[in-house]
Amino acid sequence: MRNASDTTSDTTPGTAPPVAAGATTASGGRGQKIIKGVGLLLLAAAVLAFPSLAPDPFILSVGVVIMSYAVLATSWNFVGGFTGYISLGHAAYSGLGAYATALLVIHTPLNPWVAMLLGGLVVAAIAVPIGIASLRVRGASFVIVSIAMVLILLLVFQSWGEVTGGSNGLRVPRPFDASVLRPEQHERFFYLHAVLLAVALLAWWAIDRSRFGTGLKAIREDEDKAQSLGVPTFNYKLVAFIVSAFFTALGGGLYALWFGFLDPIFQFSILVGSYMVLMSLLGGIRSLFGPLLGAVIVGYAVEFFKNEYGDTQFHLVAMGLLLGIVVLFMPDGIIPAATALINRFRPQAASIREVSAGELAEQRRTASGTDPEPEPGATETDRLDHHSEGAKR
Amino acid sequence: MSLFFQSLVLGVLLGGLYALLAAGLTLYFGVMRVVMIAHSAFLILAAYLAWWFTSETGLDPLLSLVVTVPLFFVTGVLMQRLLISRLRPATLTMMSVLLTFSVALVIEGMLGFVFSGTQRRIRLPYSGDSLELFGANVAVVKLIAFGLAAVSLGALFLLLKKTQFGQALRATIQHPDAARLIGINTDRIAGYGFGLGLATAAIGGTALALDSTIYPSLHWHWIGPLMAIIVVGGLGSIPGAAIAAMLLGLGQSMLQIPLDTTWAQTIFYLALFATLMVRPQGFFGGRLAQRF
Repeated sequence: MRNASDTTSDTTPGTAPPVAAGATTASGGRGQKIIKGVGLLLLAAAVLAFPSLAPDPFILSVGVVIMSYAVLATSWNFVGGFTGYISLGHAAYSGLGAYATALLVIHTPLNPWVAMLLGGLVVAAIAVPIGIASLRVRGASFVIVSIAMVLILLLVFQSWGEVTGGSNGLRVPRPFDASVLRPEQHERFFYLHAVLLAVALLAWWAIDRSRFGTGLKAIREDEDKAQSLGVPTFNYKLVAFIVSAFFTALGGGLYALWFGFLDPIFQFSILVGSYMVLMSLLGGIRSLFGPLLGAVIVGYAVEFFKNEYGDTQFHLVAMGLLLGIVVLFMPDGIIPAATALINRFRPQAASIREVSAGELAEQRRTASGTDPEPEPGATETDRLDHHSEGAKR
Repeated sequence: MSLFFQSLVLGVLLGGLYALLAAGLTLYFGVMRVVMIAHSAFLILAAYLAWWFTSETGLDPLLSLVVTVPLFFVTGVLMQRLLISRLRPATLTMMSVLLTFSVALVIEGMLGFVFSGTQRRIRLPYSGDSLELFGANVAVVKLIAFGLAAVSLGALFLLLKKTQFGQALRATIQHPDAARLIGINTDRIAGYGFGLGLATAAIGGTALALDSTIYPSLHWHWIGPLMAIIVVGGLGSIPGAAIAAMLLGLGQSMLQIPLDTTWAQTIFYLALFATLMVRPQGFFGGRLAQRF
C-alpha cells in the first residue's frame, strides 16, 4: 500500500474526500494486508514444495537456474530499482563473485560457505573504486563503465590463464561430498538459493521503508531536486551500488558452487547482465517482487528456448526483440502495462476532476448534516459527473 | 627502431579509423544524449554487406559504399524518429541504452542467422600488397582504410563548420532549447545527426572489411574502445573524440610491442577509469559532458 502510493508519482489518488478516504483506506489497508500475507504464504509454500513436485532432476535443475536468476535480478534491483541507474554489466560482479569463491575454495582450506561470503565481501570492496569512478557523473558514464567492466574482465580472465584457468575454464570442488547424488544436490541448492533470495528481498524491503530508501528514490525521480533538498546523492548511490554488487557476487558464488565449472565466456557475458535488466524491467523495477516475477517468466523462456532450439543465434534475436518491446511499451513492468491495457477498454472517465461536483455536494451534505438545495445550474454537470464517476470506479 | 616506427605508422592508421567511428558515436550523444550501443553492430553489419557484395558480384568492396552509406543514413533517421524519440525524456539516457542494446543484439543474431558464425574475409587482388613508407612496411589495404576514414572525417568537419545545416546541428548539440528558440527544427536535425552517425558506421565498416576477419560477435570488441574514446575526449565533442582516438590508437599500437594484443587493449579501459577519476567531463569536453 505504502509502496504503491509513494512510488507511482504520476498516478497518486489525489485528494479524496477526507471522511470517505479515511474509511476506505482503513478497510482497504486491512484487506490488502490480508491478501498480501496470503500471497506471501502461497509464494513461500510454492517455493518450498517445488523440489518435491518437480517430476525429474532436469526440471529441478531448471528451477535452480531460475532461482539463481531471481537472486541476480533482485540484487541488480538494489541499484536499478532504487536509483534508476541501469547497469548492463552486473555480470561483472556475479562473475567476480563466482571466481573469488572458486579460487578461495581451491587455494585455501576455508569452508565453502565462508569462502562464498568472503568472496562477496571482496567483490564489494572492488566495487568501491568502480562506483566512485562511475557514479561521480550522471547516467551515461555509469552505463559505459558497466559495459566496459564486463569486457575488460573477460579479456583479463581469458588471458590470465595460470590463475583463472583461462579459456579452458575452472573446475570448482563441490561443497557436498560424493555420497550426495545429483538430484539431492539440486534440491539442496534450490533451497540455498531460496534462502539467499529471501535475504536479498528482506534487505530490499528494509531499504525501501527506510529514510535511505526514500533518498534513493528521490534520486531516481529527480537527482537535482534530491540534491538541493539535502540528500547526499553521491554517497547514497555508492552505498546502493556496493550493496547490489555484494548480493550479486553472493549469487554468483552460490551458482559457482552448484554448477561446479566456470568459463570466462559465460561468466563475464554481456548477455547475462542484460538478462538481469530484462527480468527486473519486465517484472517492474519499482516493486519488491518484480525481479522475481521477471526471472520466472524470462528464465523459463530462456531455458525453454535453449532446450527447444539449442544454442542458435536465434535466441539473441528473441532476447533483443523482447528487450526492445519492454523498453518501448512497458518500461514500468508487465503489471502496470497490463492494468493500463485493461483500463483502456473500460469506459473512460469524462471528467478530469479528481473530485466530481456531485461528490463534493454529497460531502458537504454529510459534513453539515443538512440537505441544502442544489444550485439549479449545477444539476446538469452533476448528472454528468455522477455518470462518469460510476464509470471510473 | 624500425619496429617502433612500424608501430607508430600502424597506430596512426588505426587511430584514423577509431577517430571516424568515435566521431559518429559522439554525434549521437551530442544531438540526443544517447549512448548508441548498436553503433559497432551497424559497423559489423556494413562490413558484412561489403563482404557479401564482393563475394556476390566480384566488384571492389569500396563500391558497396554507394549503397550502404545512403541506406544507413536513412536507417539512422528512421531509427531516431520511430524508436528513440518515443522514449520518455526523463529516462531517455538509460532507456535509449537499453533500446540500442536490443538493436545490437538483433543485428548480431540476424548476422549469425543469415551468414552463420563462420569467420569471413574479403579476398582482394591487392590484399597482400604493401608499401615501403619511410622504412615502415604498410599494407595497402590499411592505407586505403585510413584514407577513407580521413576523407570522411574531413568531409564531416567541413559539413559541420561550413554549412548552414552544420551550424544548426552544432547549435542543437550546444543548447537544444536555444536552438529551438531561433527557429531550428531540432527534432529533424537530431534525426539527420543520427543518420550522419550511422553513415560513419557504414564507411568504417567497409574500411574494416578490407583488412580484417569479421564475425557476428566482433562488435563487442569495438564498442568498448569506442565508448572509452568518447568519454576520454569528452561526451559530445567531435574534435575531442578524434584526438582521443588518435592518441589511444597510437597507445594501443605501441603497447603491442612489449605486451600481447589482448593486454594492449586494456589501455582503453585504463584511460576510461583514469579520465573518470581525474576529469569526469573528459579532456576536451565542455559544459555539456559535465552533467552526464
